[in-house]
Amino acid sequence: MAREKVVENYDVIVIGGGAAGLTAGIYAGRARLKTLLLEKSLVGGLATYTNEVENYPGFPNSPKGEDITNLMKEQAKKMGVVFKLTDVKSVDLEGEEKVVETFRNKYIAKTVILATGGRPRITKAKNEENYLFDKGISFCATCDAAANTGKTVVVIGSGDAAIEEGMFLTKFADKIIVSVLHDEGKMDCNEIAKEAALQNPKMSFMWNTVVESFEGEGHLDTVVLKNVKTGDLIPISCDTCFEFIGYIPNTEIFKDQINLTPQGYIVANEKMATNVEGVFACGDVVEKWLKQIATAVGDGAIAGFAAEKYIAESECFHDIILQKEKPGLTYIYNAVDAPSREFLTSVKKIEEGLIGQVQVNRVDVYKSTGLADRLNIKEFPAVVLTKNGKIVHSFIQDFTEESILREVKEII
Amino acid sequence: MNEVVLDCMGEACPVPLIKAQNKLKELALGDLLIVQIDHSCAMKNVPEWARKEGYNVEVEEVDDGEWEVIIEKTK
Repeated sequence: MAREKVVENYDVIVIGGGAAGLTAGIYAGRARLKTLLLEKSLVGGLATYTNEVENYPGFPNSPKGEDITNLMKEQAKKMGVVFKLTDVKSVDLEGEEKVVETFRNKYIAKTVILATGGRPRITKAKNEENYLFDKGISFCATCDAAANTGKTVVVIGSGDAAIEEGMFLTKFADKIIVSVLHDEGKMDCNEIAKEAALQNPKMSFMWNTVVESFEGEGHLDTVVLKNVKTGDLIPISCDTCFEFIGYIPNTEIFKDQINLTPQGYIVANEKMATNVEGVFACGDVVEKWLKQIATAVGDGAIAGFAAEKYIAESECFHDIILQKEKPGLTYIYNAVDAPSREFLTSVKKIEEGLIGQVQVNRVDVYKSTGLADRLNIKEFPAVVLTKNGKIVHSFIQDFTEESILREVKEII
Repeated sequence: MNEVVLDCMGEACPVPLIKAQNKLKELALGDLLIVQIDHSCAMKNVPEWARKEGYNVEVEEVDDGEWEVIIEKTK
Protein backbone atom coordinates (compact mmCIF):
# COMPACT_ATOMS: atom_id res chain seq x y z
CA MET A 1 0.00 0.00 0.00
CA ALA A 2 3.05 2.22 -0.09
CA ARG A 3 2.26 5.50 -1.76
CA GLU A 4 4.92 6.90 -4.08
CA LYS A 5 6.82 9.58 -2.22
CA VAL A 6 7.30 12.95 -3.85
CA VAL A 7 11.01 13.83 -4.08
CA GLU A 8 12.10 17.40 -3.31
CA ASN A 9 15.61 18.87 -3.22
CA TYR A 10 16.91 21.41 -0.73
CA ASP A 11 20.24 22.91 0.28
CA VAL A 12 19.48 22.65 3.99
CA ILE A 13 16.96 20.60 5.96
CA VAL A 14 16.42 21.58 9.58
CA ILE A 15 14.72 18.89 11.66
CA GLY A 16 12.92 20.47 14.60
CA GLY A 17 11.13 23.81 14.90
CA GLY A 18 12.13 25.04 18.36
CA ALA A 19 14.23 28.12 19.07
CA ALA A 20 17.43 26.39 17.84
CA GLY A 21 15.96 25.04 14.60
CA LEU A 22 14.22 28.35 13.83
CA THR A 23 17.45 30.29 14.33
CA ALA A 24 19.41 27.84 12.16
CA GLY A 25 16.67 28.32 9.54
CA ILE A 26 16.94 32.11 9.75
CA TYR A 27 20.71 31.97 9.19
CA ALA A 28 20.49 29.44 6.35
CA GLY A 29 17.62 31.32 4.70
CA ARG A 30 19.46 34.61 4.97
CA ALA A 31 22.45 33.00 3.22
CA ARG A 32 20.01 32.40 0.34
CA LEU A 33 20.06 28.66 0.79
CA LYS A 34 16.95 26.73 -0.12
CA THR A 35 15.89 25.71 3.35
CA LEU A 36 13.22 23.34 4.63
CA LEU A 37 12.20 23.13 8.29
CA LEU A 38 10.42 19.97 9.43
CA GLU A 39 8.49 20.03 12.70
CA LYS A 40 6.47 17.09 13.96
CA SER A 41 3.78 19.02 15.80
CA LEU A 42 3.78 22.76 16.46
CA VAL A 43 6.49 25.29 15.72
CA GLY A 44 8.07 26.78 18.83
CA GLY A 45 9.34 23.73 20.69
CA LEU A 46 9.71 23.52 24.43
CA ALA A 47 9.63 27.30 24.83
CA THR A 48 5.92 27.27 24.02
CA TYR A 49 5.24 25.48 27.32
CA THR A 50 6.56 28.48 29.23
CA ASN A 51 4.16 31.24 30.16
CA GLU A 52 6.67 33.85 31.18
CA VAL A 53 10.13 34.04 29.74
CA GLU A 54 12.07 36.28 32.11
CA ASN A 55 15.62 35.83 30.90
CA TYR A 56 15.65 35.97 27.12
CA PRO A 57 17.52 39.17 26.32
CA GLY A 58 15.63 41.86 24.48
CA PHE A 59 12.23 40.99 25.95
CA PRO A 60 11.96 42.81 29.29
CA ASN A 61 8.18 42.40 29.55
CA SER A 62 8.25 38.62 30.25
CA PRO A 63 6.43 37.41 27.14
CA LYS A 64 5.00 33.93 26.69
CA GLY A 65 7.55 31.58 25.12
CA GLU A 66 5.19 31.13 22.21
CA ASP A 67 5.23 34.87 21.48
CA ILE A 68 9.01 34.80 21.07
CA THR A 69 9.07 31.69 18.91
CA ASN A 70 6.19 32.99 16.76
CA LEU A 71 8.34 36.02 15.97
CA MET A 72 11.24 33.71 15.11
CA LYS A 73 8.94 31.76 12.79
CA GLU A 74 7.79 34.96 11.11
CA GLN A 75 11.41 35.98 10.62
CA ALA A 76 12.35 32.57 9.18
CA LYS A 77 9.43 32.76 6.75
CA LYS A 78 10.59 36.21 5.69
CA MET A 79 13.98 34.64 4.90
CA GLY A 80 12.23 32.15 2.64
CA VAL A 81 12.34 29.09 4.90
CA VAL A 82 9.74 26.47 3.89
CA PHE A 83 7.84 24.89 6.80
CA LYS A 84 6.32 21.40 6.79
CA LEU A 85 4.61 20.16 9.91
CA THR A 86 5.07 16.42 9.93
CA ASP A 87 7.06 13.67 11.56
CA VAL A 88 10.42 12.53 10.13
CA LYS A 89 10.22 8.78 9.58
CA SER A 90 13.84 8.04 8.64
CA VAL A 91 17.14 9.68 7.74
CA ASP A 92 20.17 8.62 5.74
CA LEU A 93 22.90 11.11 6.60
CA GLU A 94 26.08 9.54 5.20
CA GLY A 95 27.47 10.74 1.89
CA GLU A 96 27.00 14.01 0.04
CA GLU A 97 23.28 13.54 -0.56
CA LYS A 98 21.42 13.43 2.72
CA VAL A 99 17.98 11.82 2.62
CA VAL A 100 15.17 12.72 5.03
CA GLU A 101 11.84 10.92 4.63
CA THR A 102 8.38 11.78 5.90
CA PHE A 103 5.31 9.70 5.16
CA ARG A 104 4.60 11.65 1.97
CA ASN A 105 7.98 12.94 0.82
CA LYS A 106 11.57 12.04 0.24
CA TYR A 107 13.69 15.13 0.77
CA ILE A 108 17.26 15.28 -0.50
CA ALA A 109 19.61 17.90 0.89
CA LYS A 110 23.27 18.90 0.88
CA THR A 111 23.29 19.40 4.61
CA VAL A 112 21.04 18.54 7.56
CA ILE A 113 20.71 20.34 10.89
CA LEU A 114 19.40 18.25 13.76
CA ALA A 115 17.40 20.34 16.25
CA THR A 116 14.98 17.76 17.58
CA GLY A 117 15.18 18.72 21.27
CA GLY A 118 13.90 16.41 23.96
CA ARG A 119 10.84 15.42 25.91
CA PRO A 120 10.24 15.01 29.64
CA ARG A 121 11.09 11.63 31.11
CA ILE A 122 8.13 9.96 32.80
CA THR A 123 8.01 7.60 35.79
CA LYS A 124 6.29 4.76 33.88
CA ALA A 125 4.19 4.10 37.00
CA LYS A 126 0.70 2.57 36.72
CA ASN A 127 -2.01 4.69 35.01
CA GLU A 128 0.44 7.50 34.26
CA GLU A 129 -0.63 7.80 30.61
CA ASN A 130 -4.20 8.58 31.71
CA TYR A 131 -3.26 11.80 33.49
CA LEU A 132 -0.47 13.34 31.39
CA PHE A 133 -0.44 17.13 30.81
CA ASP A 134 -3.90 18.61 31.36
CA LYS A 135 -5.24 15.76 33.49
CA GLY A 136 -3.05 16.24 36.52
CA ILE A 137 0.53 15.35 35.64
CA SER A 138 2.61 18.37 34.68
CA PHE A 139 6.21 18.89 33.61
CA CYS A 140 6.25 22.64 33.86
CA ALA A 141 5.86 24.55 37.12
CA THR A 142 5.97 27.85 35.26
CA CYS A 143 2.99 26.78 33.17
CA ASP A 144 0.81 25.23 35.86
CA ALA A 145 1.81 26.84 39.16
CA ALA A 146 -0.86 29.53 39.12
CA ALA A 147 -3.61 26.95 38.61
CA ASN A 148 -2.47 25.32 41.85
CA THR A 149 -2.81 28.39 44.06
CA GLY A 150 -3.79 27.27 47.58
CA LYS A 151 -3.63 23.59 46.64
CA THR A 152 -1.54 20.53 47.45
CA VAL A 153 0.94 19.24 44.87
CA VAL A 154 3.38 16.37 44.64
CA VAL A 155 6.82 16.84 43.08
CA ILE A 156 8.76 13.82 41.82
CA GLY A 157 12.54 14.09 41.79
CA SER A 158 15.35 15.80 43.69
CA GLY A 159 17.58 17.26 40.97
CA ASP A 160 18.10 20.97 40.39
CA ALA A 161 14.96 21.24 38.28
CA ALA A 162 12.78 19.39 40.81
CA ILE A 163 13.90 21.40 43.82
CA GLU A 164 14.08 24.80 42.14
CA GLU A 165 10.70 24.33 40.47
CA GLY A 166 9.36 23.01 43.79
CA MET A 167 10.53 26.19 45.50
CA PHE A 168 8.83 28.22 42.79
CA LEU A 169 5.61 26.26 43.42
CA THR A 170 5.65 27.28 47.10
CA LYS A 171 4.73 30.79 45.95
CA PHE A 172 1.38 29.40 44.79
CA ALA A 173 0.52 26.03 46.31
CA ASP A 174 -0.03 25.55 50.08
CA LYS A 175 1.71 22.23 50.38
CA ILE A 176 4.46 20.69 48.27
CA ILE A 177 5.25 17.05 48.95
CA VAL A 178 8.49 15.95 47.32
CA SER A 179 9.11 12.29 46.55
CA VAL A 180 12.85 11.57 46.77
CA LEU A 181 14.39 8.22 45.86
CA HIS A 182 17.37 8.65 48.18
CA ASP A 183 17.86 8.33 51.94
CA GLU A 184 16.76 11.16 54.22
CA GLY A 185 18.71 14.36 53.60
CA LYS A 186 20.21 13.24 50.30
CA MET A 187 19.21 15.01 47.09
CA ASP A 188 20.65 15.31 43.59
CA CYS A 189 20.37 19.11 43.47
CA ASN A 190 22.98 21.69 44.40
CA GLU A 191 23.63 22.41 48.08
CA ILE A 192 22.17 25.92 48.08
CA ALA A 193 18.85 24.73 46.65
CA LYS A 194 18.84 21.80 49.06
CA GLU A 195 19.32 23.98 52.17
CA ALA A 196 16.62 26.39 51.06
CA ALA A 197 14.20 23.57 50.30
CA LEU A 198 14.74 21.81 53.64
CA GLN A 199 14.01 25.07 55.46
CA ASN A 200 10.93 25.93 53.44
CA PRO A 201 7.90 25.37 55.71
CA LYS A 202 5.63 24.57 52.73
CA MET A 203 7.82 21.72 51.53
CA SER A 204 7.87 18.24 52.98
CA PHE A 205 9.82 15.21 51.81
CA MET A 206 8.99 11.54 51.35
CA TRP A 207 12.39 9.83 51.43
CA ASN A 208 13.17 6.49 49.75
CA THR A 209 10.04 6.66 47.62
CA VAL A 210 9.05 6.14 44.01
CA VAL A 211 5.63 6.43 42.35
CA GLU A 212 3.64 3.20 42.41
CA SER A 213 0.51 4.47 40.65
CA PHE A 214 -1.64 7.45 39.75
CA GLU A 215 -5.33 7.40 40.69
CA GLY A 216 -8.42 9.56 40.14
CA GLU A 217 -11.74 9.80 38.32
CA GLY A 218 -10.94 11.54 35.05
CA HIS A 219 -8.46 13.88 36.75
CA LEU A 220 -5.61 12.89 39.03
CA ASP A 221 -6.49 13.06 42.76
CA THR A 222 -4.06 10.63 44.40
CA VAL A 223 -0.44 9.71 43.87
CA VAL A 224 0.45 6.38 45.48
CA LEU A 225 4.09 6.36 46.54
CA LYS A 226 6.02 3.24 47.45
CA ASN A 227 8.79 3.13 50.04
CA VAL A 228 11.58 1.24 48.26
CA LYS A 229 13.02 0.00 51.55
CA THR A 230 9.88 -1.22 53.32
CA GLY A 231 7.59 -1.75 50.34
CA ASP A 232 4.88 0.30 52.10
CA LEU A 233 2.36 2.03 49.84
CA ILE A 234 1.60 5.63 50.77
CA PRO A 235 -1.40 7.27 49.06
CA ILE A 236 -1.13 11.06 48.87
CA SER A 237 -4.06 13.25 47.90
CA CYS A 238 -3.08 16.07 45.61
CA ASP A 239 -4.31 18.33 42.85
CA THR A 240 -1.34 18.10 40.50
CA CYS A 241 1.77 15.97 40.32
CA PHE A 242 4.87 17.62 38.85
CA GLU A 243 7.48 15.27 37.42
CA PHE A 244 11.03 16.60 37.16
CA ILE A 245 13.11 13.52 36.50
CA GLY A 246 14.98 14.66 33.46
CA TYR A 247 14.64 14.90 29.72
CA ILE A 248 15.06 12.33 26.98
CA PRO A 249 16.68 13.68 23.81
CA ASN A 250 14.81 12.89 20.59
CA THR A 251 17.61 11.02 18.87
CA GLU A 252 16.15 7.54 18.32
CA ILE A 253 16.12 7.84 14.52
CA PHE A 254 19.76 9.06 14.38
CA LYS A 255 21.32 6.67 16.85
CA ASP A 256 22.95 4.36 14.31
CA GLN A 257 24.46 7.24 12.32
CA ILE A 258 25.36 10.02 14.74
CA ASN A 259 27.66 9.81 17.77
CA LEU A 260 25.63 10.16 20.95
CA THR A 261 26.48 10.33 24.65
CA PRO A 262 25.37 7.38 26.81
CA GLN A 263 22.29 9.50 27.69
CA GLY A 264 21.46 9.89 23.99
CA TYR A 265 22.48 13.52 23.46
CA ILE A 266 24.26 14.42 20.21
CA VAL A 267 27.98 15.09 20.48
CA ALA A 268 28.79 18.27 18.51
CA ASN A 269 31.95 20.35 18.38
CA GLU A 270 32.23 24.13 18.75
CA LYS A 271 31.08 24.52 15.15
CA MET A 272 28.03 22.37 15.99
CA ALA A 273 29.33 19.71 13.59
CA THR A 274 28.52 16.07 14.35
CA ASN A 275 30.67 13.07 13.43
CA VAL A 276 29.00 12.92 10.01
CA GLU A 277 30.23 15.46 7.47
CA GLY A 278 27.60 18.00 6.52
CA VAL A 279 25.40 17.17 9.50
CA PHE A 280 25.11 19.73 12.28
CA ALA A 281 23.15 19.81 15.52
CA CYS A 282 21.86 22.54 17.83
CA GLY A 283 19.61 23.20 20.81
CA ASP A 284 18.56 20.88 23.63
CA VAL A 285 19.36 17.73 21.66
CA VAL A 286 23.08 18.55 21.92
CA GLU A 287 25.14 17.56 24.92
CA LYS A 288 25.78 20.90 26.64
CA TRP A 289 25.85 22.64 29.95
CA LEU A 290 22.99 25.11 29.83
CA LYS A 291 19.71 24.51 28.01
CA GLN A 292 17.95 27.83 27.52
CA ILE A 293 16.32 29.75 24.67
CA ALA A 294 19.37 32.00 24.65
CA THR A 295 21.81 29.09 24.21
CA ALA A 296 19.54 27.36 21.67
CA VAL A 297 19.56 30.55 19.61
CA GLY A 298 23.35 30.75 20.00
CA ASP A 299 24.08 27.31 18.67
CA GLY A 300 21.30 27.54 16.09
CA ALA A 301 23.11 30.53 14.61
CA ILE A 302 26.38 28.61 14.53
CA ALA A 303 24.75 25.56 12.92
CA GLY A 304 23.05 27.68 10.23
CA PHE A 305 26.30 29.50 9.50
CA ALA A 306 28.30 26.25 9.48
CA ALA A 307 25.84 24.69 7.03
CA GLU A 308 26.36 27.63 4.68
CA LYS A 309 30.15 27.34 4.94
CA TYR A 310 29.98 23.60 4.36
CA ILE A 311 27.95 24.02 1.18
CA ALA A 312 30.26 26.77 -0.13
CA GLU A 313 33.26 24.56 0.58
CA SER A 314 31.64 21.58 -1.18
CA GLU A 315 31.03 23.70 -4.26
CA CYS A 316 34.62 24.99 -4.24
CA PHE A 317 35.91 21.44 -3.82
CA HIS A 318 33.96 20.01 -6.75
CA ASP A 319 34.05 22.97 -9.12
CA ILE A 320 37.59 24.25 -8.56
CA ILE A 321 39.83 21.76 -6.77
CA LEU A 322 38.50 18.69 -8.59
CA GLN A 323 37.74 20.43 -11.91
CA LYS A 324 38.07 18.09 -14.89
CA GLU A 325 39.10 20.51 -17.62
CA LYS A 326 42.84 20.23 -17.14
CA PRO A 327 45.32 18.67 -14.75
CA GLY A 328 45.19 20.37 -11.35
CA LEU A 329 47.84 21.35 -8.82
CA THR A 330 46.64 22.33 -5.38
CA TYR A 331 49.09 23.76 -2.87
CA ILE A 332 47.85 23.34 0.70
CA TYR A 333 49.65 25.42 3.30
CA ASN A 334 49.29 27.24 6.56
CA ALA A 335 49.82 30.96 6.07
CA VAL A 336 51.29 31.41 9.54
CA ASP A 337 54.20 29.12 8.61
CA ALA A 338 56.94 31.25 6.98
CA PRO A 339 58.67 28.52 4.87
CA SER A 340 55.25 27.45 3.55
CA ARG A 341 54.54 31.06 2.59
CA GLU A 342 57.89 31.33 0.85
CA PHE A 343 57.15 28.25 -1.25
CA LEU A 344 54.25 30.21 -2.79
CA THR A 345 56.92 31.81 -5.01
CA SER A 346 57.85 28.37 -6.36
CA VAL A 347 54.18 27.56 -6.91
CA LYS A 348 53.89 30.76 -8.91
CA LYS A 349 56.92 29.82 -10.96
CA ILE A 350 55.45 26.41 -11.77
CA GLU A 351 52.19 28.07 -12.75
CA GLU A 352 53.90 30.57 -15.03
CA GLY A 353 56.18 27.94 -16.54
CA LEU A 354 53.25 25.74 -17.56
CA ILE A 355 51.05 28.59 -18.61
CA GLY A 356 47.49 27.45 -19.25
CA GLN A 357 48.32 23.76 -19.08
CA VAL A 358 47.63 23.27 -15.38
CA GLN A 359 44.98 24.72 -13.09
CA VAL A 360 46.83 25.89 -9.96
CA ASN A 361 44.94 26.39 -6.66
CA ARG A 362 46.18 27.62 -3.30
CA VAL A 363 44.42 26.52 -0.12
CA ASP A 364 45.25 28.22 3.17
CA VAL A 365 44.30 25.96 6.09
CA TYR A 366 44.75 28.66 8.73
CA LYS A 367 41.00 29.22 9.19
CA SER A 368 39.62 25.87 8.14
CA THR A 369 41.06 22.50 7.24
CA GLY A 370 37.80 21.52 5.53
CA LEU A 371 39.20 21.39 2.00
CA ALA A 372 42.40 19.69 3.15
CA ASP A 373 40.29 17.08 4.99
CA ARG A 374 38.40 16.35 1.81
CA LEU A 375 41.73 15.76 0.05
CA ASN A 376 42.77 13.57 2.95
CA ILE A 377 45.72 15.86 3.74
CA LYS A 378 46.52 16.10 7.46
CA GLU A 379 50.04 17.55 7.36
CA PHE A 380 51.16 20.78 5.75
CA PRO A 381 52.49 22.03 3.43
CA ALA A 382 51.32 19.58 0.79
CA VAL A 383 50.76 19.48 -2.94
CA VAL A 384 47.99 17.43 -4.53
CA LEU A 385 47.91 16.71 -8.25
CA THR A 386 44.61 15.85 -9.90
CA LYS A 387 43.53 14.67 -13.32
CA ASN A 388 39.96 14.21 -14.58
CA GLY A 389 38.65 15.13 -11.13
CA LYS A 390 40.73 12.46 -9.36
CA ILE A 391 43.76 12.68 -7.11
CA VAL A 392 46.77 11.18 -8.91
CA HIS A 393 49.62 12.19 -6.62
CA SER A 394 50.15 13.78 -3.18
CA PHE A 395 53.37 15.34 -1.87
CA ILE A 396 53.42 15.78 1.89
CA GLN A 397 56.00 18.17 3.38
CA ASP A 398 59.00 16.65 1.64
CA PHE A 399 59.00 18.18 -1.85
CA THR A 400 60.78 20.72 -4.04
CA GLU A 401 59.88 22.80 -7.05
CA GLU A 402 61.75 20.28 -9.21
CA SER A 403 60.13 17.13 -7.80
CA ILE A 404 56.68 18.63 -8.30
CA LEU A 405 57.45 19.80 -11.80
CA ARG A 406 58.64 16.32 -12.76
CA GLU A 407 55.34 14.76 -11.66
CA VAL A 408 53.24 17.51 -13.21
CA LYS A 409 54.86 16.98 -16.59
CA GLU A 410 53.91 13.29 -16.33
CA ILE A 411 50.21 14.11 -16.17
CA ILE A 412 50.00 16.87 -18.76
CA MET B 1 -5.72 4.86 -2.23
CA ASN B 2 -8.06 7.78 -2.65
CA GLU B 3 -7.60 11.36 -1.62
CA VAL B 4 -10.63 12.93 -0.05
CA VAL B 5 -10.89 16.67 0.58
CA LEU B 6 -12.99 17.83 3.52
CA ASP B 7 -13.84 21.52 3.43
CA CYS B 8 -14.11 22.92 6.96
CA MET B 9 -13.43 26.56 6.08
CA GLY B 10 -15.21 28.99 8.38
CA GLU B 11 -16.07 26.28 10.85
CA ALA B 12 -15.11 26.62 14.50
CA CYS B 13 -14.07 23.92 16.97
CA PRO B 14 -15.09 21.24 17.51
CA VAL B 15 -16.89 20.98 14.15
CA PRO B 16 -13.79 20.26 11.98
CA LEU B 17 -12.61 17.58 14.41
CA ILE B 18 -15.95 15.78 14.49
CA LYS B 19 -16.32 16.01 10.73
CA ALA B 20 -12.81 14.64 10.26
CA GLN B 21 -13.45 11.78 12.67
CA ASN B 22 -16.66 10.82 10.90
CA LYS B 23 -15.18 11.12 7.43
CA LEU B 24 -12.16 9.01 8.28
CA LYS B 25 -14.46 6.15 9.35
CA GLU B 26 -15.78 6.01 5.79
CA LEU B 27 -12.30 5.81 4.24
CA ALA B 28 -10.32 2.69 3.37
CA LEU B 29 -6.89 1.75 4.60
CA GLY B 30 -4.22 3.84 2.87
CA ASP B 31 -6.59 6.65 1.90
CA LEU B 32 -5.65 10.28 2.50
CA LEU B 33 -8.03 12.73 4.13
CA ILE B 34 -7.26 16.40 3.51
CA VAL B 35 -9.05 18.62 6.03
CA GLN B 36 -9.12 22.29 5.03
CA ILE B 37 -9.41 24.61 8.02
CA ASP B 38 -9.03 28.26 8.91
CA HIS B 39 -9.56 28.12 12.68
CA SER B 40 -6.27 27.96 14.55
CA CYS B 41 -7.81 25.79 17.27
CA ALA B 42 -8.68 23.10 14.72
CA MET B 43 -5.10 23.31 13.51
CA LYS B 44 -4.19 21.99 16.96
CA ASN B 45 -6.93 19.52 17.88
CA VAL B 46 -7.35 17.79 14.50
CA PRO B 47 -3.66 16.79 14.15
CA GLU B 48 -3.42 15.99 17.87
CA TRP B 49 -6.32 13.57 17.62
CA ALA B 50 -5.00 11.98 14.43
CA ARG B 51 -1.51 11.53 15.87
CA LYS B 52 -2.91 10.01 19.04
CA GLU B 53 -4.83 7.53 16.89
CA GLY B 54 -1.52 6.57 15.29
CA TYR B 55 -2.23 7.96 11.81
CA ASN B 56 0.38 9.74 9.69
CA VAL B 57 -0.21 13.48 9.81
CA GLU B 58 1.12 16.51 7.98
CA VAL B 59 -0.06 20.09 8.41
CA GLU B 60 0.51 22.52 5.59
CA GLU B 61 -0.03 26.24 5.92
CA VAL B 62 -1.49 26.92 2.49
CA ASP B 63 -2.05 30.61 3.17
CA ASP B 64 -1.90 32.98 6.09
CA GLY B 65 -4.31 31.45 8.62
CA GLU B 66 -5.38 28.63 6.30
CA TRP B 67 -4.22 25.10 6.74
CA GLU B 68 -4.58 21.64 5.27
CA VAL B 69 -4.33 18.76 7.68
CA ILE B 70 -3.38 15.67 5.70
CA ILE B 71 -4.19 12.41 7.44
CA GLU B 72 -3.25 8.96 6.13
CA LYS B 73 -5.51 6.19 7.39
CA THR B 74 -2.86 3.68 8.38
CA LYS B 75 -5.03 1.25 10.34
